[in-house]
Amino acid sequence: MTSGASSTALGHPVAASPIILIRRIFIGLVLLAIFGQALWMTDARPGELISGIHGMLDILGRSIPPAFSEFPTVLQPALETIDIAIVGTACGVVLAIPLAILAAANVTPAKPLYYGARAVIALTRAVPDLVWALLFVTAVGLGPFPGVLAQSVHSIGMLGRLFAEVIEDMDMGPVDALRLTGANRAQVFTHAVIPGVLPSLLGIGFYRLDDNLRNSLVLGFVGAGGLGFQLLTAMNLFQYKTVSLLLIVTFVLVMLMERLSAALRRRVA
Amino acid sequence: MYTTGKHLLDVQNVSMRYANDKLALNDVSLSVCPGEFVTILGSNGSGKSTLLRCIARLQQPSAGTIHFGDHDLTKLQGQQLRRARHGLAMIFQHANLVRRRTVIANVAAGALGYHQTIWTALGALPRTELIKSYDYLDEVGLTHLAQQRAGTLSGGQAQRVAISRALAQRPRIILADEPVASLDPQAAEDVMGLLRRLATEDGIAVLCVLHQPELAERYSDRIVGMRGGQMIFDITAKQMGSHDVAGLYMSQAA
Repeated sequence: MTSGASSTALGHPVAASPIILIRRIFIGLVLLAIFGQALWMTDARPGELISGIHGMLDILGRSIPPAFSEFPTVLQPALETIDIAIVGTACGVVLAIPLAILAAANVTPAKPLYYGARAVIALTRAVPDLVWALLFVTAVGLGPFPGVLAQSVHSIGMLGRLFAEVIEDMDMGPVDALRLTGANRAQVFTHAVIPGVLPSLLGIGFYRLDDNLRNSLVLGFVGAGGLGFQLLTAMNLFQYKTVSLLLIVTFVLVMLMERLSAALRRRVA
Repeated sequence: MYTTGKHLLDVQNVSMRYANDKLALNDVSLSVCPGEFVTILGSNGSGKSTLLRCIARLQQPSAGTIHFGDHDLTKLQGQQLRRARHGLAMIFQHANLVRRRTVIANVAAGALGYHQTIWTALGALPRTELIKSYDYLDEVGLTHLAQQRAGTLSGGQAQRVAISRALAQRPRIILADEPVASLDPQAAEDVMGLLRRLATEDGIAVLCVLHQPELAERYSDRIVGMRGGQMIFDITAKQMGSHDVAGLYMSQAA
């Protein structure tokens, strides 16, 4: 009643009143001011990008053609990158599931465990995998293993939160129905909760695999093995033709994993 | 008023007061004999579903006793309650099947309470129960769907599978909370006919909450009317015509 003639049946304003117009202009100015200070703070100097572009072109020129003859030597680090992602994701999934059960409000056995699990998830997620990799490199030395550890730990946080949300959104009907038949807690869990949420969990897991493959490249830069480490080495030695080969291999791997992950997610949906 | 003989279920003076002080059930007493089909009629908020949920111990009544067989259900906890529940199956408006499992696995899961082993805790179903489950599926006429995923069934089929799962529990009574509320008329007749047959032929008592007086009259032995948390009549289906059933549904808010 109060919205009267200026509103449609759904309550959308048909014509903006002067007050609304002034508010919009004000919001626009605020957004512009925020963007302006961000440019200033980040020291944005487009001029130097233009004047320095010949340096980039020089590097590009020196990286063509890619050193395809070195392809066989790239295979092993490429496989290493894939394997870091596979082991990291698998460990992450296996560790995240029990944590997610504790961190889902509707199935958690006790409140202290709920808060504990939420804290572990928040901590492992808040610390970037790059930082985890640096920590693990100092602990276990260079190579793929610290990469695996970093991805596992970071994945626990990312997956744990998503898994907990899936469990909280689950249809409780079948769970209650089975509990009423006289089935015990463990049986209700394996026969109703797990079949209810497993497809979603697998889908999220495959999505994580895709993410982890891309992340494992970055982890190589801090010494955690794989293609990233090769990339860093080649750049330090100014072997730009090797760098471009590595980038092509990376691109293909990422594309393939994206496709594979999407296909697997469709299958379990 | 009702048939004599030993009662299977005996609800005595049950009241249920919610935390917000609303009295959902007010001194309700009701008995059901083996093989008897009793329907509870009443409008939304009359307490009929609450009564069923109290009997199934999904809710704890604030007063009264609920004797089922040799036990007072209101006094049981944990393992004892789980064991007592074996004989008491419940079906709902929705079938509540595990959609990604096969029909036969859904049926066999109804018997899990009898097999509390490591293997069933890990997700396995006992072979003997899977074999028996074909008989329970046969009771509802759906053996041909045994290997299909439960998620592919129609509403009526799913509800019949839910009844089949209830049978796997080998119950002495089936509590049915608006079992046909979301079904089309033909599927509703099928489900009601099935429950009636289980009562008559297998001696399983049925306590059913319905919204349709007409279905109640045709399928039940006895009809109980509830209004405002109180039981206002308890009659045989034959007496139905002489009672003011429409009065159950008149607005109390006016």
